[in-house]
Order: sequence, then C-alpha cells, then structure tokens
Amino acid sequence: MASQQQRDIRKWLMKPHDKDKGNGNAVKPAQSSPNKTEQKPESKPEMTTQRGQESSGRRKTSKYFAADKQEPKDEKEVEELPLKRKTQSSGEKSVKLPPSKKVHKVDESEDDDDFVMPNKKSNYVDVTPSKKLKSSTGRGVAQKSVNDDEGESDDDDGIKDADSLKSGGRSHSRGRGGRGASTNPSGGRGRGGGRGFMNFDRKDPPHKGEKEVPEGAPDCLAGLTFVISGTLDSLEREEAEDLIKRHGGRVTGSVSKKTNYLLCDEDIEGRKSSKAKELGTPFLSEDGLFDMIRASKGTKGSSQNESKESVEEAVSVTKKGPKKAELKGNSLPRDVAHKSSTETLEPTKLKEQAVGESLLSWTEKYRPKSPTDIVGNQSVVNQLHNWLKTWHAQFLEGGNKGKGKKQNDPNAKKAVLLSGTPGIGKTTSAKLVAQMLGFQAIEVNASDSRGKADAKIYRGIGGSNANCIKELVSNEALGVDMDRSKHPKTVLIMDEVDGMSAGDRGGVADLIASIKISKVPIICICNDRYSQKLKSLLNYCLLLNFRKPTKQQMAKRLMQVAKAEGLQANEIALEELAERVNGDMRMAINQLQYMSLSMSIIKYDDVRQRLLNSAKDEDISPFTAVDKLFGFGGGKLRMDERIDLSMSDPDLVPLIVQENYINYRPCSVSKDDDGLKRMRLVARAAESIADGDIINVQIRRNRQWQLSQISSLSSCIIPAALMHGQRETLEPGERNFNRFGGWLGKNSTTGKNLRLLENLHVHLLASRESNLGRETLRLEYFPVILKHLTDPLRLLPKDEAVEKVVQFMTYYSITQEDYDTVVELSKFQGHANPLDGIASTVKAALTRAYKEENKSRMVRSADLVPLPGIKKTSKKRIVAAVEPSDDALGEENGDLLAEKEEESFSDTDELGNADKKLQDELQSLKSKGIDVEMEIKDIAHSSAKKTPAGRGRGGSTSGERKPGGRGRGGSGSTEKAGGKRKR
Amino acid sequence: MLWVDKYRPKTLDQVIVHQDIALNLKKLVAEQDCPHLLFYGPSGSGKKTLIMALLRQIFGPSAAKGKVENRAWKIDVGTRSIDLELTTVSSTNHVELCPSDVGFQDRYIVQEIIKEMAKNRPIDTKGKRGYKVLVLYEVDKLSREAQHSLRRTMEKYSSYCRLILCCNSSSKVTEAIRSRCLNVRINSPTDEQIVKVLEFIGKKEGLQVPSGFAARIADKSQRSLRRAILLFETCRVQQYPFTVNQAIPPMDWEEYISEIASDVMREQSPKRLFQVRGKLYELLTNCIPPEIILKRLLYELLRKLDEELKHEICHWAAYYEHRMHMGQKAIFHLEAFVAKFMSIYKAFLIATFG
Repeated sequence: MASQQQRDIRKWLMKPHDKDKGNGNAVKPAQSSPNKTEQKPESKPEMTTQRGQESSGRRKTSKYFAADKQEPKDEKEVEELPLKRKTQSSGEKSVKLPPSKKVHKVDESEDDDDFVMPNKKSNYVDVTPSKKLKSSTGRGVAQKSVNDDEGESDDDDGIKDADSLKSGGRSHSRGRGGRGASTNPSGGRGRGGGRGFMNFDRKDPPHKGEKEVPEGAPDCLAGLTFVISGTLDSLEREEAEDLIKRHGGRVTGSVSKKTNYLLCDEDIEGRKSSKAKELGTPFLSEDGLFDMIRASKGTKGSSQNESKESVEEAVSVTKKGPKKAELKGNSLPRDVAHKSSTETLEPTKLKEQAVGESLLSWTEKYRPKSPTDIVGNQSVVNQLHNWLKTWHAQFLEGGNKGKGKKQNDPNAKKAVLLSGTPGIGKTTSAKLVAQMLGFQAIEVNASDSRGKADAKIYRGIGGSNANCIKELVSNEALGVDMDRSKHPKTVLIMDEVDGMSAGDRGGVADLIASIKISKVPIICICNDRYSQKLKSLLNYCLLLNFRKPTKQQMAKRLMQVAKAEGLQANEIALEELAERVNGDMRMAINQLQYMSLSMSIIKYDDVRQRLLNSAKDEDISPFTAVDKLFGFGGGKLRMDERIDLSMSDPDLVPLIVQENYINYRPCSVSKDDDGLKRMRLVARAAESIADGDIINVQIRRNRQWQLSQISSLSSCIIPAALMHGQRETLEPGERNFNRFGGWLGKNSTTGKNLRLLENLHVHLLASRESNLGRETLRLEYFPVILKHLTDPLRLLPKDEAVEKVVQFMTYYSITQEDYDTVVELSKFQGHANPLDGIASTVKAALTRAYKEENKSRMVRSADLVPLPGIKKTSKKRIVAAVEPSDDALGEENGDLLAEKEEESFSDTDELGNADKKLQDELQSLKSKGIDVEMEIKDIAHSSAKKTPAGRGRGGSTSGERKPGGRGRGGSGSTEKAGGKRKR
Repeated sequence: MLWVDKYRPKTLDQVIVHQDIALNLKKLVAEQDCPHLLFYGPSGSGKKTLIMALLRQIFGPSAAKGKVENRAWKIDVGTRSIDLELTTVSSTNHVELCPSDVGFQDRYIVQEIIKEMAKNRPIDTKGKRGYKVLVLYEVDKLSREAQHSLRRTMEKYSSYCRLILCCNSSSKVTEAIRSRCLNVRINSPTDEQIVKVLEFIGKKEGLQVPSGFAARIADKSQRSLRRAILLFETCRVQQYPFTVNQAIPPMDWEEYISEIASDVMREQSPKRLFQVRGKLYELLTNCIPPEIILKRLLYELLRKLDEELKHEICHWAAYYEHRMHMGQKAIFHLEAFVAKFMSIYKAFLIATFG
C-alpha cells in the first residue's frame, strides 16, 4: 500500500504539469519564462494538496475505475509526459504570480471537494492569463471524476427521462429520436432508450435563428456543467449543446449536484427544474449564456462585474464554503518535498524511451500491456481469463475422469468465440490474457491460408498451414504427460474466423474438427457472430461478446495517450472523438495520431470538423435509418444524409417506411385540430410511396438503375419529409416501434394462395366440365362452390350430406387440398369461419368417405396433370433472382431442395424410356394387374398431393410411398408411365 | 354439377342470349376459313361460351375434348435461358391459354407457342391443309411487348393459325392488333334475357321460381349471366322452395369491400387508414385482384357519396388504377387511393358541417 500510495502521489504530482503545459500553450508565450525553476516548488505544494483531496474525492466516485489496477498504467504514461513536456515547452510552462495562485488554490480545492465549480468563472473573468491556466489544471483533474460519475448518471437519467417524457413532460434529452444514435456512443442503451424519446413533443424555439450566436474564447465555459431544459429562446437543443461544448463546457442529461447551471428560458416545472431548485442549481437563460460567452471575448471590464456577480451568486447557492478550501490549503506544504524528489529522478531515462517509441504507430505503442488496461469489457476479459485458466484442468485432466462429466458441464466448451465490432480490443485481450497466464499464443489470421487440412500424408505438415494447426492442436499430448510446468503451454488464436473466404475452403468445418480433437485451447475471433458462415461453429464455442466502450471510458484512455504524447486535448474534444468513431478504440487512436501531426492542441471544433467528413461508416440497420428519417431531427438532415439513410438498404427501407408512415404525427403541422392537415400529408406521402413503386418497376424491369435515387427520394425521403415527427401507436397494445414492412409477408401469402388456387383451377379444368378463368373462379364460383361443399354438411343428416359433398368433389375433381383451399381463401378477418357449425364427426366422415371414393375409382385425368406448383416454384425462384417479379415468393429452402430433387428425377425420366421403368416398377411391386393399376392411381394421386408438400409439409409423403429407397424417383416415373398409358 | 356448366350452350345453335352473333359466326366459318377474331365485352356476357361453340362448329366435337396440360417452355434469350410454365388446354386443332398468367414474360410464351403451332400443321380429312386455332384469354392483360410480338407473328404465320383473342376491354389491346382482327363485341345480356335464361334453367331443373324472384337475381347480378346463374344456384342451395323476398347472399368479397367502404366513410384518420390497410391485405391474400378491389370500392363509395364529390373521386380512382398497372405493389396504390379519398372527404365534411 505504501508504494501504491507513493505512486499515486507521483501521478498526481505529474498531472498538473501536463495540464500546465497544455493550457500554457493556449495562453501563449506572451509571458516569458524566467522563473521556471522557481515556479516548480510553488506549484507543487498546491498540487499535492490537491492530490490528497483529489484522491479521496476520487475514491468516492471511482467505482467505475478499476482503480487500483489501472493506476500503475496511468502512472507510467504520466511519467512519460513530463520529460517531453519539459524539453519542449519549458518556455511556456508557467508564469504564475504567487498571489493570484493562492486565490486560485482555494477555488481549486473547493472544486475538488464537491465538484461544483462556479469559481471557474471567476478564473477566467478576472483573469490574468496565469490564473486561467491554473484554473484549468484544477478542473482537469476534477473533471475526470466528474466525468465518470456523470457518464453513469447520464445513462440513468436518460432512462428516467424517457419515462417522465412519456408521461407528458416535454423536456428534452440527448438520446431522443434521430440523434439518438449519434449522441450515444454507449451501444448498451440501444434502441429502447432512444425510442422512448420520440414520445414527446418539443416546440420549436420561438425566435429561432433570430439571435446572433456569440463567439467566445475557446474554453471560456471550461469546467462548467450545464443541463438544458425546455425550449430555449432561439437555439435548438442541439445547437445549444454544440455551443457549450465548443466553449469547453459540458452538457449532461439531468441535474445533479455537479451541475452548475440549468439552461432554460422558461420554467416549465419539469423534473429537471424541480430537481435544480432542490439542489439550488442556478438557472441560466439563453441570453445569460450568450453573455457569458461574449464576456470572455469582450471587454474585460464590463464582463468582470457580471461574472463576479454570478460567482457570488453561485457561491451563495452552493454554500460549500471557502472555509473548507482553506483548511485544505493549509495542508499543502507537506507533500511538496516528496514530490519534487520523485520527479527529478526520472526524466532522462524516460526521454530515451520516448524517442525509441516514436516510430511506432500509436495503436501499437499504446496497446494495452495488461488485461486491466483494456478499455471496457472487463467482465468479458475476466470470463476469458477464467476459461483459459481452467481449460487444462477441465479438458485434459477432467477428460480422464470420464466423459459424462464433460457433457454435463455447461461451460465446457473447448473453444471460445470472441465477437464484437472492430477496434475494441478482441485480439489484444486474447493475447494479453494468454500472455498473463503464461500461454504461448499462436495467432493465425486471415493472412494465412486456413483451408481444410490436406489429409495426404506425403505432403508433410509443412505445406499447409492447416496441417500445422492440426499438428499443433493434437500434439500437445507429449507435453501434458511430461512435466507441464517446464513446457510452455500454447494457445491457438484463430483471428478473423468470419473472414474465411473462398480460399479457405472447408475452413470452418476443419476448425470445428480441430476443436473437437484439440489439446490446446482455441480462441476464435470474429466480428459478426451471427454470420451465416459461423453458424456451425457457434455450437462448439463459448460465446463472449465484446461491447463498445462508453465514450467516457474511451475519452479517459485517449486522454492518457494524448498526455503521453504531449498533446493538449480537452476532455470534451476527446469525448467527441470517441463518439465519432463509434466505439472503435483503434480508430480513435489513429485519428488522434493523425491530428497530432498538424496540431498540438485538440479542441472540440477540430475534432468535430475533421471527423464529420471522415466519420466511420456505421452499419445502419433499416430500422435505424427509418427512425432517423422520421425522427424530430429528420427535417434537419442534409439531403445527402437522407439519401444515404434511405439507400442503406434500398429494398427494405421503403417497405418499412410504407408500413409505418401512418404512425407519425407530422411536426410540420402545428395547429391541426381536426386532423385534416395530417390526413392531407398522409395522402401525399401515400402517393409519393406509390410513385416510388412505379419507379421501382422501371428500374427493375428496364434496368434503369440511374433512377434509383429518384426511387429512394419518392419512396422514403418525401414521405419522411412530410411525416416526420412523433410516432404514435394506432392500435391498443402495439409497441411504439417501427414495424417490419408487412408487404413481404403478405405478398408471399398471396403467392402461395395463388398457387393453391391455380391447383384447384387446373383440377376444375381437367374435369372437363368447366372452362373458366382463374380470376372468375375466385370471384364468382367460389361462393357457390363453398356453399356446395359446406352447406349440406351443416343442414342435412350426416350420411346424406357426406355423400352429396363427395359426389360434388368427385365430379369437379376437387381434392381434399382443394377443399382446404376453398375454405382458406374464403376466410375473412372478422367474418365467421366457413367451417363453423360443422361437427367434427361430420368432417371426419367426409374425409373417410372421400378416401373411400378415391380408392374405388379409376385414374382421373385431373390426377395426371402435373401441377404447376411443383416445378414452378423453383423456376420462379430463378426468375426472382434475375428480376424480382410480382410473384417472387418466399418459399422455404427445404422445399426448394425437395423440388430440385424432384426435378432431376423427372429429367432423367424424360431422357430414359418410361416404359422400361414402368416394367421395373411393375416387377418390383410384385402385384397383379389390378393392384398395379390401383397403385399407379394412388401414386398419381399422391403426386397431386405434392403441391401441398411444396408448401411446407416437406417430403413426408415420399417415404411412405416407396419403401424401396428410390423414393420420389420411382413414383415419378410410375406416374409418368401411367400417364402415358392413359393417353 | 354446377348449373353454369350444365346449361352452358355447347353449340352455336343452342345459344339463347346472343343468337344474332352466333348466327353471324356460323356464317363466318361456313366458308372454311375465318379471320382472326377478337371477342370483347364485360365478364359474364358469354365470350368463352361463344368461342367454345365456335370451335365446335369449326372442328366438330373433338374440339371439346381437349386435354389439360401444364406445359413448360425453355426459352433461350441470348445470355440466359428462361423457364416458363403455363397451363394450357389443347386438342389436335386448337390450343387455349392465358399468357398473362406468367406475368411480364408473357411475350416469350406468345412467340414460342405460335412458332410451335406453325411447325406441325394439321391436315384435315380431305387432305387439305387446315389451320390451327390459338385461343388467347385475357389479352388486355398482356404486356405491351407481348402484344407487339403478337402483332408480328399474327401476320407471319397467318396461313397456319388463326387467333381468337378474348378480353374484357378492347381499349387495352393495341390498335395494331385490333385492326388485324375481326372485332366482336359481346354485350352483357339484358335483365330480360337473364330472366329468360333463369326461367329456362328453373324449368329444366323442375323448380318453382316465383315471379319476381328471377328479376331480383337479374338485378343483383349486374347483368352478368354467369353470376346470375351462380346466384340462382346459391339460393337454391341455401333455401328451397324459393320465396319472392328471399335474401340473395352477396359475394363474400363484395361484402367485405362494402365494409371497408363504410369504414372509410365513417371515420377519416390515420388509425382508420391503418385498419383499412389490414383489410385490403386480407382481400389481396385471398386472391382478389386489386383492380377488382379498387373498382368495387369505388362503386361502394359512390353509392354513399354526395353528388358533388362523385366526379372527383372517380377521377382519383381512375388515376390510381392506372398507376397500379404501372406499378407492382398494388397495396401501395390502393392505400394511396384510400388516403386520398379520406383527405378529400374529410375536407368536404369540415367544409359542409363545420
């Protein structure tokens, strides 16, 4: 603990310097630096005090740090800083006037104590530059803990907000609607939260855009925490947020005791304002904010008064006294000596190190050195750690005890699959964990060929990488039997398993095989766990999912890096960076390095501008795209953004739009008591969607792909522009999410029903009693046929009725499937089922009678007509692939297979001579003439049943039909032959 | 057996309703050769019946004994080959088919089948080279391309085969085709004719048909003879002996559409629109063609609508129907129509009643 303590101290002693340096830069070399040496002792005492309190303060809030473990690392980086700092920037470093400092100290310690920082203002306002500098050091440190704390509370508040909003509050929070995704780097909260926010209605600012937005000193709001509530006078919420962030302030979602100001122009009695009153947080109007910003730029004299006032106000409100601060101030000197001694020791050594490392890219340089360094996902890393630790015990020794045990243990997976988006440290953590447990990691990634192992022995193991893996995986036995302590254990890391491509034929299967026989642990890594390729692999792996770290976590780490590299960056800028890269740590660091080439101070605006263009392409799900288009922010998206959104999936997005546009209450309609305006917008949107359909036809049918933008314009963007606003539910009990487009399913059902109808049609035609079109059949014959099929069953005595119905069915060659079709297609939602009122015994009797009738009758021509459903489906599939047609149906894969099989058989039938086959059949059936005749008929009849098989009953009939193993093939040929005969 | 089929006239002589046309047709084919024919007229007026009777007149009873086939075509189009399948009814002398069933690739069918027929030309009993007849149904639903290719082949192979085209509306058949055919317009039978037929059937079946009942059915049938007979039979199944005031059950889908119409009239809101969408889907999945839905919906709406709106609503119905043909996803257009109607009607209600 002692050494720990010491390290802590050192760390905190260092920190100020970074800060100093950073802000010193900003302040500018205007001050010469005569007193560099002299200054140090001065700053130190103060720093140390700060440290004392800080650390306690920190403890208080540091539940989100893995504090102890993390610190060594922190320290290390901190150590690197000063030397650079010193070499580069000694000049700028510090120009402080002792007296001012004192004042300042007081402020600082106060911050640290309770994280309320009204004094910041005084710092910059009455400001000599040196003071400013100081203040920000204080802030930087305090900020950090605020940060983490805030991050968490933000999330909570976000959710609470959502609730309160639902109940009608109209305040705002960051996660809502369209912006949701971009403001929330923490993937964890996801849609749920975001959606909740769309449930309320916020008015537009009354004087939108009428005021001039002031420009102020870049960090004039540094250290201040704002909460925005209600509608502002002229700024949109996002604009205000942006403004504050740009000036170094912080915006959080809900009021806490760390909040400095509640920014609102009207007291709307919401949750935030009541909380603020409770905590005594001062209210700030938009004009007040502008004044604060202007003041930083404007004449100091005038602004001074004002700001002083505000300071007083703030102080009086917060009531946390200078007394405390003074107390702390007194304790300063103690640690000073200590600190200076530690610091002087190290510079030279560190310098060398720094030079050596400068060639490395930062991602390598700052790659975590221990598992605890990994940003976020600690629990996953721990799981991995435990898994790897117990691996040998479980699978090598445990295997000896008996296999039964292995099966029972749910955790007993021999391999682990890490999944997660790129750049969040999967490979790194795998390596680190392995390293920590003393495993030797062997990494195989996409750059190696990973095809199926070549089983041929003569090639040796050298030829193929996969063979090496096999070798590696199975050869551990020796080591296990011998002394394992000496033998280095190995672990195989299969990186990028979802990238197994054409070159890696059979790769996954081989990997599974390897896992089964493996004597070493295997860690597989992939980006997309749900990839089709990996489906089979999932069963053999313990699945660990890496999440994106929160922006606070990332910002913290980035701050360390920035410090270590002598970059000056403020927290907010780094958070913005973290947010922009969408959780990709590697990319964040790369960006940071890139920016470091051109600038040494990184500000919010820089990050914003730079990354606006180079923003990482997110994978937008169609739902998110629709959310964004239709959210409140939908009206403010740029055209190219809208096109991007609607093009993210040009097939699905329009369907989801079409399904959901009715649900939105357009915010462009202000006063709409009778809903007329909304109805008009709906009509226009509907027409536009229909336009989109027409254009789509042109695109697909005539391959006019240049029209695709217009298509997305009319099918998504125009409806969204008309209808965007708040989503509301139309049906009780419906969840307020966008539904999936219903068209696909309905179209598929329509297609299926059409096919069934066609079967019936063919049967009716084949009966030669009627000559009718399919449409006529449905529209006009159906009611009558249905009456004939059901009414007698309901009205007449059982036997008579059954006889009558069966007679009718026989006459028109209506099969039982057709019967079902007729009933099914006559059902309407909200209407009585046509079969209602028919006793089940009657139905059973009908079935029996029909079968009986079937047996005794000869082949009907209707049975011999191959039904369109059988081949058609597969054909349509091809058609659909080439050019999605009206009847692109959603058949099951299984059906397709069955049909393929069928097809190939019937092809051979056509080629081979059917007669011979018929002979074979006859012999194999070993039956007499009549029997054979019957058999043929039955089979033929069951071929008529194939259509139902085509719609989902699979090959259930094929098995019973032919025990002889050739199944369908045989029956197909019989059918053909039978047909020939008849003709 | 359904009465519709049972009492369908088999020969031109048996025809009750369009006797004059039957007579003309008989004369036409008497000279051993006949031009291409285009039958058009509303459904239920007897086009198919006449065509079948005509075929029988030309080729004798063998024409009635066609066999139903599900034929597959493999068509080579440069880079790929297309497989198509269609149900046909064919005898030695004629082929009936409905090419529009295959959707937008109907033109391949049209080209292929005609070539195929031209290949083996039948020889009649007297050793004279005869011709085959190709009967195409629903020509108005053929795509433009198919109609164009039809035009070419009609002339090229005119010595081998005759075309009999059948459609509801001749306006959707291109001018070029119409001018190559002898157009035969089949009118809907008048109410009196329908009553006559119904009474004829009643007599044959030995039923007591109260006077006025047949007239009511005729009235309900919208001058479609087929529907009249089917209704007649439905009534028979439902209740016999007939009474004059017996309820004539509506078609299931018509009933459903009229429900939609009254829904729409009662409330105009997004919520209602959403419910209507569900019902429209229901109709579509039950294989009711979207054009029919739109037409029927318009009909139902017009019955309830104020005079001054009728014209406008008709205009929009026509507008969306046309667009529906150009598009692919019928529901979008149906919904657009309903939404349009709602917005117009709502505005009207507010303007009128405040």
